Amino acid sequence: MQWLRSPRLWVAALALVAMVLLPLWVSEYVLGVLTIAYYFGVFAMSWDLLFGYAGEVNFGPTFLIGIGAYVSGMLNIYTSVPMVLCIAAGAVAAVIAGVLLALPALRLRGAYFGLVTLVSVLILQTVIVLFASYTGGEIGFSVPSILSIDSGVNYYYALAFMVVSGMVLLAVARSPMGLILQATGQDPLGAQALGFNVTKHKLAAFCLSALFSGLAGALTIFYLGSVSVNTVVDLAVTVQIIIAAVLGGRRTIVGGALGAIFLIVAAEYLRPIGELSNLVVAAFALIVLLFIPDGFLGLFPRREARS
Amino acid sequence: MSLLKVTGLGKRFGGLIAVRDLSFSLDPGEILGLIGPNGSGKSTTMGLVMGVIPPDTGSVRLGGTDMTGWAPHRVAKHGVSLMFQHSRPLRRHSVLENIELALLPDSLWNFVPHPRVARRAREIAERVGLEEFVERWPETLPYAHLRRLELAKAIARDPQVLLIDEPFAGLTMAEMREFSALISSLRDERRAVLLVDHNVKGVRALVDRVLAMHVGSKIAEGTPDQVMSDPTVRSVYLGGSLDGGPETADRGAVAGPPLLQVESLRVHYDRAQALDGVDLEVREGELVSVVGLNGAGKTTLFNAVSGFVAHEGFIRWRGESLDGATPGAVARAGIVQCPESRELFGDMTVAENLEMGGYHLSREDYARQHATVLALFPILAERQRQTARTLSGGEQQMLAIGRALMTRPRLLILDEPSMGLAPLVMEHISTAIEALRAEGVTVLLGEQNVSFALRHSDRVYLLEQGRIAWQGAPGAFAEATGERYL
Amino acid sequence: MTLLLQVLVDGFVIGALYGLGAAGFTIIFGVSGVLNLAHGGVMVVAAMVAWMVAGGILHASLLTGVVCGVAAGMVTAYATYYLVVRPAQRSRRIPDEEREIFILTATLLLGIVIQEGIAYLFTSNPVTVPPLVSGVVHVFGVRTPTNELLIGVISWVVLGLLWLFVNRTRQGKAVLAASINPHGLAMLGFELPQIHRLVWGLYGLLGGVAGVLLATFEGASSGLVGGLTASAFIIVVLGGLGSVPGSLVAAYVIGFMETVTAYLISPAIRTLPGMVLLLLILYVRPQGLLGRR
Repeated sequence: MQWLRSPRLWVAALALVAMVLLPLWVSEYVLGVLTIAYYFGVFAMSWDLLFGYAGEVNFGPTFLIGIGAYVSGMLNIYTSVPMVLCIAAGAVAAVIAGVLLALPALRLRGAYFGLVTLVSVLILQTVIVLFASYTGGEIGFSVPSILSIDSGVNYYYALAFMVVSGMVLLAVARSPMGLILQATGQDPLGAQALGFNVTKHKLAAFCLSALFSGLAGALTIFYLGSVSVNTVVDLAVTVQIIIAAVLGGRRTIVGGALGAIFLIVAAEYLRPIGELSNLVVAAFALIVLLFIPDGFLGLFPRREARS
Repeated sequence: MSLLKVTGLGKRFGGLIAVRDLSFSLDPGEILGLIGPNGSGKSTTMGLVMGVIPPDTGSVRLGGTDMTGWAPHRVAKHGVSLMFQHSRPLRRHSVLENIELALLPDSLWNFVPHPRVARRAREIAERVGLEEFVERWPETLPYAHLRRLELAKAIARDPQVLLIDEPFAGLTMAEMREFSALISSLRDERRAVLLVDHNVKGVRALVDRVLAMHVGSKIAEGTPDQVMSDPTVRSVYLGGSLDGGPETADRGAVAGPPLLQVESLRVHYDRAQALDGVDLEVREGELVSVVGLNGAGKTTLFNAVSGFVAHEGFIRWRGESLDGATPGAVARAGIVQCPESRELFGDMTVAENLEMGGYHLSREDYARQHATVLALFPILAERQRQTARTLSGGEQQMLAIGRALMTRPRLLILDEPSMGLAPLVMEHISTAIEALRAEGVTVLLGEQNVSFALRHSDRVYLLEQGRIAWQGAPGAFAEATGERYL
Repeated sequence: MTLLLQVLVDGFVIGALYGLGAAGFTIIFGVSGVLNLAHGGVMVVAAMVAWMVAGGILHASLLTGVVCGVAAGMVTAYATYYLVVRPAQRSRRIPDEEREIFILTATLLLGIVIQEGIAYLFTSNPVTVPPLVSGVVHVFGVRTPTNELLIGVISWVVLGLLWLFVNRTRQGKAVLAASINPHGLAMLGFELPQIHRLVWGLYGLLGGVAGVLLATFEGASSGLVGGLTASAFIIVVLGGLGSVPGSLVAAYVIGFMETVTAYLISPAIRTLPGMVLLLLILYVRPQGLLGRR
């Protein structure tokens, strides 16, 4: 049971306890901020599975999030399907959309793959605006159902979701499957020579990422009570997800959550300087990217080089 | 029945025929070595067997199954493994984990690590002699051990056929011998091995049979001794007679002070050894040749002198050290290289390529140099307006040399000028080189075609696996090494 | 019929402008190997500075505004190279196989920084630079602002000058050679850092002119940064990375597609057909229309 002595585990456990007990001390407003931060954390963690492990840079995570959000939201408005099923449908829709996008796109080299994902977001944005009568266009629409009115309950929903997603994604990343993913990302030809069907594995990673992104997207709108292009299908959101994952540390999964929390909380602190806050955050992320490319968690590697 | 049977294999890339009607077979417990100079098609053959490159014609059969056109991962699952030339292990995982990776099944439900995997990985590590390094990260391992790790990954799945691509590249002589012994032991496990390497001597010592290729076709097959003494094979590698030629006789004329001095030169690519302590000197007015097979290190040597790769040791030009000079500065100092790959500006015309060479000259110097180059290569004058990319191989080589000459070099480095050229064109280049000599240009020539080199040289260095194996006058070459070159 | 002519005229001008921006983008890729995702920033900064000097704040002459705008574009290009791209290319902390992606992401972040910076300094409201000339002209019976026509002409003049530079001057040929084979150029005694300095300055010039012209035509705002980058990226990939003629052809294809869509369907979704076309091309012929790689 050597892992019980790992310092990381204790730090994580303490953090978890702190997060669970937090509502006892802080205001509703802070809980609201953290709730969004936790959902964002899932966005970033799913992104890291794709980038840090499968080696594919996804410039359009909001494509998957948006599909999850809009499908579940529109089902909720136009039909009498119960909310839970709407959420599930949103997640499934995101996976299907992810497969349709990735299947041809995975044939392309890195930068081209990124371009395709970027363009997919732009296309989705344009389509939503085009069919504004159904989707509410740029303004969006409100959804009748809602997760909960109580900010404490919402907080725990988000926290639980983030912790469970994190554990699943982490388990996958640390498992033999994660090892195979890294091999396919780092050296696709070498992985093939070892008998691995690279396309199959990358596609699986994409589906997993899509599943959690879609779920998180759906849950977010039922927390906020509304959905619009700006909240879930914007390029700005994409950039924030990338910043969060990079700041926290790529190839760590947990780093995504850390980065997201840091980002959202920092944005709150920077609110007084208004418009400048986005600039400060982006500039900060740029500096980190250039000088500490392994991010925060990268400063504390899981294992040191043994020599 | 043979284990691996390749019949009529063929592949062309655009207009280039890489492999032409190749057939061979491999039995269990046999090691077959594939040799041939650059462009012979040996690496392409490996790729065709493994499925990395889909063949145009022919078939590849393992046992009774036709594997032609299968994707690499399917070929791998069927019992063929490929050990790559370049090591790319997972950097943040231990050696053991890298081997475990090779043992994992190609399934999406790999969530729980199986204890048998770890145990088997240890066994394999022991098999290749890495048992003491299992917990270490790849970046802490010396290069030779990284190659063992690659071998471990390749044999992890218990393949029937093992394809090994350039196992000796980057190794020292001693490491080569150890690795050879390891590969040899695979015979005992009744595996079939297909081996490709440039180091012909290394291959010869290890394999049961040799297959020699040249421009995509098989030119000889048999025991190592048979193939190495085959006249076609010898002429492909050596170019022709090793007696030099009429010009060789009255060499030893006055050579000036030393222009280029190389001392204890060591070059590493990552941790692979490319040059292992090379000493060399070129005096003014001389033509010095460095001969050796591909992979011996000639191009690395030239790139180190030209400032493109980092090195240890000393490189002195006219007495001054060249350390830290940018490639542009080295060229401006007077050392200009005409590389093996020619590096022409494909989309620009012949005239424009020459213009780039003479960019830094004054108008008068440019005119004079331009006239000299066109006198040397009249065909370039005819083709001035033609795009470089559309020229024939020989014309491109002439343009490359002409362009280098436009810079008015004090030392011209020619890397494999005769490669891929028809005999008639080679004559033309020969004449041009002699004309250059007459003008007093100092030349450092790198050639695999020994005969070509001997004809023009004042002195010869023989480079083998990153070291100078012999140096002396061209007339003494045949006696000193001739028979043992291959 | 007039509609068709209107489309032709507008499409011609937009294509020219897009071509100007894309030409610089693709030259940078050919020489530095970088896809600059902060591309829109060069154009918008130029536009904003031109507005600030000529229109909004300093009220100087239009010419001064234009010159300052173009200069600002060049400064932005140099800042992109020396502050972000070069450090990322040289950093030893970034593993080689991930370097391309890191540079992409870094330029993306820089684009955001520029966008937010502009929004902070100038708010995100669009601004317009006064047209270079006023009045209206009839082209094939179509009422067109003279300014719009002038923009088309200027763009082509600049492109023509670029062609002359690259094909007829010594320096320009060195740039062309560098975009074909930088290694070969180094072997002939050229210093690549000098070439980079020249090329990024040229890029800033082209982008700056395109940005200023755009400002007199449609106006500019911080929100345009992302869209302009995306358009340039799409055009350059369509035309084949590294091929200037390809980019010009693709610029016109996209320009006309956008114009037709805007007129016949709706301006709001004018970018859609181009993006769908890009996806199709990437799946069918990844090297673009005229690309080599």
